Amino acid sequence: MARGILSGLAVALFAASAQAQVDPGPGRPPGVVLADYALTNVRIVAAPGRVIERGTVLIRNGRIAAVGPQVSIPAGVVTMDLPGHSVFPGLIDAATTVGVPSAYRPIPTVTSESGRGGRGGGGRGGNIPGLVPTVNQGASITQSFPAPEVDAGAEAADLFEPTPDQLKNLRAGGVTAVGLVFDSGLFPGRVGAALTGGPDESRLALRSGAGQEIAFGTRRGGYPSTGIGAVAFIRQSLLDAQYEARLDKAFKAGTPGARPTNEPFTRALVPVATNDMPAWFVASPERAINRVGEITKELGIRSPVIVGAQEGWRVIPSLKAMGATAVVSLNWPNPQTVTGATFKNPIGGGNVTVSDPAAMQEVRANAASLIKAGVPVVLASFGGESGATFRERIRASIEAGLSPDDALRATTVAPAALLGITAAAGTIDVGKLANLVVVSGNDLFANVPIKHVFVEGRLY
Amino acid sequence: MRLIQTILVGAAVAGLAAAVSAQDVAIRNATIITISNGDIENGTIVVRGGKIAAVGKNVSIPAGIRTIDGTGKFVMPGIIDAHSHAALENGINEGSESVTPEVQVQLKNDDPVIQRALAGGVTAALLLHGSANTIGGQARVIKMRWGQPAESMYFKGAYRIVKFALGENVTRAGGDISAGEERRYPTSRMGVEHTLRYWFTRAKEYDKEWQDYRAVAKTNPNAIPPRRDLRLEALTDILHGDLKVHAHSYRGDEILMLIRIADEMGFKINTFQHALEAYKVADEIAKHGASVSTFADNWAYKVEAWDAIPYNMALLTERGVVVSVNSDSDKRIRRLYQEAAIGVRYGNMPVNEALKMVTLNPAKQLGVDKMVGTLEVGKDGDIAVLSAHPFAPESAVEYTIVDGKVLFDRSEANTLRKAAAKTPGGN
Repeated sequence: MARGILSGLAVALFAASAQAQVDPGPGRPPGVVLADYALTNVRIVAAPGRVIERGTVLIRNGRIAAVGPQVSIPAGVVTMDLPGHSVFPGLIDAATTVGVPSAYRPIPTVTSESGRGGRGGGGRGGNIPGLVPTVNQGASITQSFPAPEVDAGAEAADLFEPTPDQLKNLRAGGVTAVGLVFDSGLFPGRVGAALTGGPDESRLALRSGAGQEIAFGTRRGGYPSTGIGAVAFIRQSLLDAQYEARLDKAFKAGTPGARPTNEPFTRALVPVATNDMPAWFVASPERAINRVGEITKELGIRSPVIVGAQEGWRVIPSLKAMGATAVVSLNWPNPQTVTGATFKNPIGGGNVTVSDPAAMQEVRANAASLIKAGVPVVLASFGGESGATFRERIRASIEAGLSPDDALRATTVAPAALLGITAAAGTIDVGKLANLVVVSGNDLFANVPIKHVFVEGRLY
Repeated sequence: MRLIQTILVGAAVAGLAAAVSAQDVAIRNATIITISNGDIENGTIVVRGGKIAAVGKNVSIPAGIRTIDGTGKFVMPGIIDAHSHAALENGINEGSESVTPEVQVQLKNDDPVIQRALAGGVTAALLLHGSANTIGGQARVIKMRWGQPAESMYFKGAYRIVKFALGENVTRAGGDISAGEERRYPTSRMGVEHTLRYWFTRAKEYDKEWQDYRAVAKTNPNAIPPRRDLRLEALTDILHGDLKVHAHSYRGDEILMLIRIADEMGFKINTFQHALEAYKVADEIAKHGASVSTFADNWAYKVEAWDAIPYNMALLTERGVVVSVNSDSDKRIRRLYQEAAIGVRYGNMPVNEALKMVTLNPAKQLGVDKMVGTLEVGKDGDIAVLSAHPFAPESAVEYTIVDGKVLFDRSEANTLRKAAAKTPGGN
């Protein structure tokens, strides 16, 4: 086996030099070279429940060119013979903030006469929420910048700037694609998806506009300054967007008197407010998730995505009633802080210790409990470390009752569908990007190091 | 132990009696302070399915239901706190602006303060927005249903209530600013008055816009409605009486100011909160139809409380104002029955008139007096059982019952406390 890999490496080196002149393919910058690979004699888990016990995966030009028990291998392809190994679709971490700037990143110098949101009795009146006049340093031009916490039109995919180390850490856990979200804010922007490597690391984004993120944060120096204010602000902003859509329609139909405001903030929220873009609410505790239920019911927002959902098992009927998809964070909460811990012993302040096995089990079995109840689940590292830690926690979730197939589904097919990147990722099928993870043995989540990771056909 | 016993007894008779529910309980041979019909010596009260089924001297207890021996004990309606900020999360004051009635407070249903309030016999409370804003956020009226999700603790049928505030807290709220920030308007009592007049003028315009639209929409289905503004909508609800005003206030002059603004704009003040100088303007308050929820004492704890007197409650009651005494404190909420006793000491209030200040009167101010506040057949089984008369210095709450469920039992609490003391990290 070791010999097989060694000879494969030798061939790879040869192939790389031999292919230096080859056209890299349409849309790919010239000069970047991809070797083509054939993974042979490998157990192939093409998708959850779809297994080829011994076969070949052929990778050409960054994509899967063939997969099956019998695949003829063209000349010039690097063969990696992998008996005793399994190849899986690359993992997708459905929600991470790695490489995405904070919703509370600094804004350029703010002038003292900002008139921010009308702190006086006049209220926020006609101000556009979130626009703060700023001074362009070194020039005399005054510009308006949206405050990042309410920059509803910002695209996480555009702002994604991971360091090489961050990408390496993601791949170390078999994560080949990520859902990109912001840490907090109110309307910090839109969800995107990106690769964690590939032939051209300056071009990682897979898509933008996968969802509108909505979090219950606060505004710096203005309204809303609290979580209670955030709820009112979110409701009003979405109502305004629905009204904008109505005015816009009437305006375009020539109805006299109709005139949309054309405020960028309100306009950016029209798709989510009219169910043309999924709403991604950041909510983890019981009460926060139930609040999302109230808001989506009031505003007619269908099938929200709940990012975090750490106490999802406590609110299963509520999640089902709103038709939610739970993006379950594997950054488990401390059982002592879980809602209702104090019910167990109010006098002692809720004496649940961190090592309390029953309480830990309840917290770690969140994903399993939700799937059992029929709530759509994808897994994410949101709020915690992705990469190797993410993979470890998937294993712990399996130990807590999640079936390995469900775990694989919730980290491949399901997040690909949720992020709208099914054409590129999620399964090992011809035409998809060659995002693959190879491990020895049969278990992707076993406590063994990952052997190889391919992202868009590039071997790591 | 007791629980197991109860279950066993319950199981034994289940075949004989009508099904026993978890919301059945009886207390026998106690002094029952009904509030509405005097006191009953050696009385019995029976709660079935969460409602009071019988109360009186000769009442038989259906077989199988949990029965508390009330010998030597006093039974009174569950205590109602008409002013609390306990068990709230994610902010008490949305203080970025001075008018925020679109905001609503959020209940933290697992805050142990709820269990501590139960230990003081409290079964319902008004959880209010803070007093930083001229018009603050909307409140929650809750029942102390410890162990239930937040939504299940909301008191159905209670008033929708919004907090107003006058005086120092509002004018000072704009003062905490960092360099380069503007002070929040208003910063004076004049400014507060103007803010109220300005916003209610806008609300009336908004209300008219919608009325005009509704008139037009009857004949033109394509008419475009006005923009929905949650802030102005809440103010319109106040104008229509659908959202009741509880106004934080201290001085007589500011109380008069608010009454005049309300009369001018056409809305009502439901309750003046604190209102330590209300005794100076009792007739005006009574004429407006407002009630008062106050502290029993708290003389001169701040400049605008300089003229506070403990006779406030008694004087207002004599003038026909409905008065409650509130906690506004996670500590005082555990001994509200003692606060009420101050009305007897200062002003010679009749004992049961003083007890009304923590039962029926706050129930009226919260719009729940049809359901709670007295011990009458048909009302909710919200009950406090005390070891002695509530005004006796040695009295302590032994059981607190909400909807027929015993949610506080002092003997169990003592066991829990001992267990907690043995647990590392317990307190």
